[in-house]
Amino acid sequence: MSNSFEPKILAFLCNWCSYAGADLAGVSRMQYPPNIRVVRFMCTGRIDPLFILKALTSGVDGVIIAGCHPSECHYGKGNLYTRRRILMTKKLLECIGIDPARLRLEWVAASEGPKFAQVIRDFTEETKKLGLNPLEALTRGEGIK
Amino acid sequence: MKTNLYLAWSSDRKIQETGNSGGAVTALLKFALEHKKVDAVLAVKKRNNSRFDAVPTLITDPGLIHETAGTLHFAPVSMVKIVKNYLDGARNMKIAVTCKPCDARAIIELAKRKQIQLENLFLIGLNCSGTFLPTVAEQMISEAYGENPQDLVKEEVDNGKLIITLKDGSTREKDLEELAQKGFEMRENCLRCSYKIPRMADIACGKWGNSGKEATFIEICSPKGHEFLDAAAENGALVMEAATSEQIEERKQEETAAVENAQAREQKELDVLKNYSPDERLKFWSSHLQRCIKCFGCRDACPLCYCKDCYLEPYRGCVAGGETPPDIMFQLIRLSHVADSCVNCGQCQDVCPMEIPLTRLYNCLNRELVRIFDYQPGVDVNQYPPLTIVTDQELFIDAPDIINITSAAE
Ligand code: SF4
Ligand code: SF4
Ligand code: SF4
Ligand code: FES
Repeated sequence: MSNSFEPKILAFLCNWCSYAGADLAGVSRMQYPPNIRVVRFMCTGRIDPLFILKALTSGVDGVIIAGCHPSECHYGKGNLYTRRRILMTKKLLECIGIDPARLRLEWVAASEGPKFAQVIRDFTEETKKLGLNPLEALTRGEGIK
Repeated sequence: MKTNLYLAWSSDRKIQETGNSGGAVTALLKFALEHKKVDAVLAVKKRNNSRFDAVPTLITDPGLIHETAGTLHFAPVSMVKIVKNYLDGARNMKIAVTCKPCDARAIIELAKRKQIQLENLFLIGLNCSGTFLPTVAEQMISEAYGENPQDLVKEEVDNGKLIITLKDGSTREKDLEELAQKGFEMRENCLRCSYKIPRMADIACGKWGNSGKEATFIEICSPKGHEFLDAAAENGALVMEAATSEQIEERKQEETAAVENAQAREQKELDVLKNYSPDERLKFWSSHLQRCIKCFGCRDACPLCYCKDCYLEPYRGCVAGGETPPDIMFQLIRLSHVADSCVNCGQCQDVCPMEIPLTRLYNCLNRELVRIFDYQPGVDVNQYPPLTIVTDQELFIDAPDIINITSAAE
């Protein structure tokens, strides 16, 4: 895969922390790659593993989820449920032959603008290395090469 | 201390003859109905007198219990959806259910989800050393044994052998391994299953440990089990004697051997997949799943798929309607929904018209989840599915990929 590959990344962000963190990164003019498209959730606890699977079978190369640190979720434990679900989803991906590194969970607080930018830089780099998501070709009906 | 390990047999000569191993289970079912301990019995009987075709049957007349006597190895049916769908989840009825370990486990999983009222059930667990698909079994009897399948009157699995009894009273036996080489194997989920004795049921019954006697070895696994058996013994329907230490040892050895066998099999089969490169694995599964004709059989047969509003339906917006093979999402949804609680019962694979090795897929993921979440599906009704709970302790773990000290995900 040449370096010109630009992965498509979906970022599922919690309204109360990471979304604000992204905002802070923005207003502070921190640089991060433009590969992400953001979906805002009221809490990471709302993220059904199906959203992740749907994204990965619809041509997205990586999914990053960022939420409040443990014990800081606005709704108490939404992020803890999500942590368990992501563990399951990563194993699921591994079982069917998709690199679980295409999915990542991070905690980013509203004040952590620099962390947000860093996380996105890292994840974009990593997804770039992984290349085109093979599930995409599969769902386009082209089979696996 | 009161023991929970017994040898038991029916006091009724006729039941002794028709039932297996002294007819203890048949006697117990009859007793439960006659003395109104339960409203009905749910058990399996032959259809058209064929050992390759069994149906679950609900019995309220003690005079009909004999129809369910004996064990069938060639007709795996699940009792679970019957209880859930057609008997109202046992909400209005006390039912004694005979169940294989996977049935008992699925019932417990559904009880956790408030789909079955466990208090109203008396689970009579039957030890299980595995079952064959009826089609495989019929062909095996005629080709490997050279006998007419219709002449079969009994079959049993013992010490790695499959022993069949024919109409004329004669028996034939063959090594399971030898049969496997000819292509006649048990259902693959059974071969990998290490739940041989259903201790999650109220009682677990089987012939292991009966030292060749016409008796059933019974392990009592719950207070309800004690209550039932005490009553049946007091009434005289069942003759019980405490198992001797030799019998207990004999049973333990049989169990250990069977479990080790299954574990080795599981390891071997799943390692094949594990050792594939990710691309090979994706290729393997996609080539299987590309055969799917979207009949919904796997969902409809799975005891854990009970949702009224299923995500696989086109109006839910996840899987487009009118397309075969369906989007890979179809199986991924089911996989993500049941993998944590899959009891490896094999129903999904049995019904799949395209012979997709579905249980292997579920088993693969389930084995990983068992390790991460320390969750054994269908064993303890008070242990909730791992994706439906979190612990207070987790509030203080910061890593995004760890939920406890032992679960470090690599
Ligand atoms: S997924 Fe298949 S093996 Fe697992 S519980 Fe459902 S029907 Fe049984
Ligand atoms: S596939 Fe999912 S939504 Fe559909 S019945 Fe099974 S568990 Fe329920
Ligand atoms: S039973 Fe088999 S063919 Fe039918 S929907 Fe399930 S996987 Fe597809
Ligand atoms: S509110 Fe941010 S993860 Fe729950």
